[in-house]
Order: sequence, then structure tokens, then C-alpha cells
Amino acid sequence: MPLTGTRRPSGPTLGNARQGGGGGALVACVIVSIALFTASCRMGDEGPLGLVRGAFQTVTSPVRYLGSTLSMPFQGLGNVFTNLTADQQTLSELREENERLRARNVELEEAAMSVERLQGLLDLQDVNNLQSTAAHIISGSTDSWSSTVTIDKGSLTGVSVGMPVTSSSGVIGQIVECGPTTSTVRLITDENSSVSAMLQSSRLQGMLEGTVGDQLRLSLIPSDGSVSIGDVVVTSGLGGVFPKGLPLGEVTSVENAPGAAYLTIVVEPYAHAENNEEVLVITSLTEEQQATEEDIAAADAQDTKGAAAAGEPDDSSGEGDEEGAAGADGTGDDAYQGV
Amino acid sequence: MQVADRNREARSAAVLAVICGVAQLALAPNIGLGNGRANFALIFSACVALLVGGRRAVLVGFFAGLFFDLSTTGPIGLMAFCLTVSSFLLGLEERNRMSGDLAVTLALFCGADLGVSLVYHLAMLLVGQADSLLDVIVFRTLPTALLTAVFFVPFAYYFSRMHVSGSGLGGGHFGKRGF
Repeated sequence: MPLTGTRRPSGPTLGNARQGGGGGALVACVIVSIALFTASCRMGDEGPLGLVRGAFQTVTSPVRYLGSTLSMPFQGLGNVFTNLTADQQTLSELREENERLRARNVELEEAAMSVERLQGLLDLQDVNNLQSTAAHIISGSTDSWSSTVTIDKGSLTGVSVGMPVTSSSGVIGQIVECGPTTSTVRLITDENSSVSAMLQSSRLQGMLEGTVGDQLRLSLIPSDGSVSIGDVVVTSGLGGVFPKGLPLGEVTSVENAPGAAYLTIVVEPYAHAENNEEVLVITSLTEEQQATEEDIAAADAQDTKGAAAAGEPDDSSGEGDEEGAAGADGTGDDAYQGV
Repeated sequence: MQVADRNREARSAAVLAVICGVAQLALAPNIGLGNGRANFALIFSACVALLVGGRRAVLVGFFAGLFFDLSTTGPIGLMAFCLTVSSFLLGLEERNRMSGDLAVTLALFCGADLGVSLVYHLAMLLVGQADSLLDVIVFRTLPTALLTAVFFVPFAYYFSRMHVSGSGLGGGHFGKRGF
């Protein structure tokens, strides 16, 4: 056995060569690791180191996925044990948190629905190019004789009597009273309401009037007119109060009594004020939102034809659109004098 | 005369590397104590350092640390530095220090484990990745060191007991010739 100054290794050997202590490797590796650390701190996730890390994590992701999949049953088991050992205080806290979150959830759902309604109004405003101001319905009718609602806008915010009110689903009605901060809107379903309307498909002009039963009746449509169930009724723009083309409702029944000059048409309104909280008050009309000369001429011609069929004198003094067959509320810029 | 089986050593190192690599990626994220996670890169580099030592251990420590850094969101190079130094210190004697001496092996490892964990997490505090010293020491350093030590025990047992007894257990790839 040679005498050497080196110490004999004890236990199983791993080779017959010493590796030279590793001091040089230590210095080199320390320098490289410090350089990498410095660069990593400076550049963060950007730069080549970030790319290398990204590639590494992409390559190793199957292994990670396998690990998380295999550990899932054990995590569930851990939760079971945690739940079994949960004390009363924990349970009470969880119950309180649950109630708080439930209430918050209701608030958020309400807010989400409001957002949806407001978005609908915004879309309506954009599509029809409406000059309008938003308002909220704050109360319904206080008596059983009228169908009205109160909104939270008044003269102080530029609202005035006669302005039409609409929602995202259709026309609501027209302002009949106006205070400084609130206004009363007569709904189109009110018995005293009448709106100049037309059938969207056939362009036949008529008057949409409210009835006792919260339905609408479309009058002055000649008996030989083409009307079907499901036809959409829109505002005609005559009278310059309601913009042309706003949805009013849908035809639900058509009757042609023998010998009658006009059809009896029942219309289901699109908008139901009790379901609408946000509405638009239309403050002014642009020129294209009003009925054209051709529209007026067509309406006159239809009236003449209808009057002749009914054997009545023709009275076509200016179609206007309005509330106010009763005439007492002074609504609208051009109150419809009508037949 | 001792015959060095370089191929066997390389194979054994590769197997240990794969085991620790998979454990680091798949096992460590799913087993936690507080905010602590086991460090299989340290286990791998410590095994190599305690069994082989020298330059090889330093290089293994560096690359194992780099592997750890790439698999986490911390700064790259920090664990590489820590494991380079710890591997150098553990492998200074360049001999198999694990054979037949489990207690000493565990003691050496625990010292390195605590040191690496402390240095790493303090550095993370200094670069702003951690919030408070209490959080670093109590909720990260100590749990990490404890978990890592726990997972090192089977490796230490294997290399100190079963690895030495060799033929009685069939030896296999590891046999008497060692790592």
C-alpha cells in the first residue's frame, strides 16, 4: 500500500480520482449565478431570461398537470378533514359571510339588470338619433281613473308638457303635467291617450288609442286594408310630437264587421311602464324624425277614402299627433284635431 | 484497486435527477406547510455532494438550482447560487459521507437545508418579493426547511443503509459500487 499524504477514503468508493476540490467550479458558478440573478432582477419577466423561463414552463407543463391531477383526490380529502374539525365559531362566521354575500349578490343582479336596461336605452338613442334625456319612473297612478306614471325629471331639467316618453322596448306615453323636478306621463294605454300610428308593413295610417283594459285600439284603418295578426305598429311622426318609427305594439286581433268602414284592430303594447324604471324623454325632433309631405299626403288620401266609404264628410285639417282627444291637458305641440 | 464505473454513476445520477425533477414539478406544488414547499433540487444536489463531492457536486448544485429557479417565479440565479455554495461545502471531503451513517447525514443536510432556505427567503425579502421578516422566517423558511428535511429522509436512508448493504438487496443499478 503506497504511502501517500492523501487520506484514504472510507466506505465504498466512487472512483479512483479526486476531482480537485471544485474551487474553480465554485467561483465560476457563483459568478454566473450572481450575473443571472442581477439580470433577472433588472429585467424581470422580459428579456431572454423570461423567454427561457417561459419555454421551460411550457415544456414541463405536462408534468405539473399530472401532479395536480394526481393530487386532487388528496386535496379533497384534506378539505373533508378540515370541514369535520371546523368549530362553531368558524361555522357562524361562514354563515354570516354567506348571508352577506347573498345580499350583495342580489344588489349586483339588480345593478346588472339596470345596466342592461340602460344599455337598451342607449342603443335606442343611438339607432334613432334621439335628442333625449334619461329619467326614472318613481311612481304609478294614484287613482284608478287614469293610467299615468311619474318620472323624476321636470322643468328644471328642460322637460316640458307634450314631450313623448319612451323606453327601450317601445313608446310609454306623453308628458301631460310638468313640475320643477317631476313630471306626469300619460301612458298610451290611458283611455284619453291617442297617438298617430301606422302599420309598419303596409304603411296604413291610423290612431292608436288607449282603452279601459290596458290594451290599445288602432282605429281609422280602412276595412279593405291589409292587416295581419303580428303586424308591428309604429309611430307615424304626423303632428311632430312623436318621432317617426318608434315601436308601439303588435296587432293581436283584427275584426272586419260587415258594412263597417274601418277595421277593429286590437294592439298589445310593447312597453309596460310597471316593468320599466329607466325611460327616455324626447326633448326635440330632427327633421327626418317628422312625417314627410308624402306621409301627410298619404294620410290625407287614406282619410278621404275612408270617409267616402263611411259616407262621412272629409275633414283632413292637418294630421297631428296627439294626446288630447279630451283636449283639456294641452299636450303636444300639435294637438291632433282628428276626425 | 477500486474500479470506477463511470457509466453506472452517470446512470444513477440521471435516475436521481429525474426522480427529484419530477418531484419538484409535480409533488412540491401540491404539498405545502404554511407557505413552505419542499426543495427537491436541494435534496438532489445534497445527495450528489454527500456521495461524490468535489467539482461534480458544485456543477450539479448549480444546475439543480437553475432548474429550481426556472420552475418558480422568483429571480433566476438565486437558488443556483445557494445550491452551488451548499454543494461545495457539503462535498468538501469528496467522499461518500452517507454510507452507514444516517444520523450524520441527516445532521449535515439539515444544516445545509436551513441555511439555503434562510438565505433564499431573505434574498426574496430584499428584492421585494416578500412582505415581512416574520412572514419570511416563520411562514416560509422554517416550513420549507422542515418539509425538505422530511422528504430527504428516504433518500438518506436508501443511500446510507440499503445502498451499502448491496448484495443482500440485489444491488440493482446502485449496487456496492456506489453512486
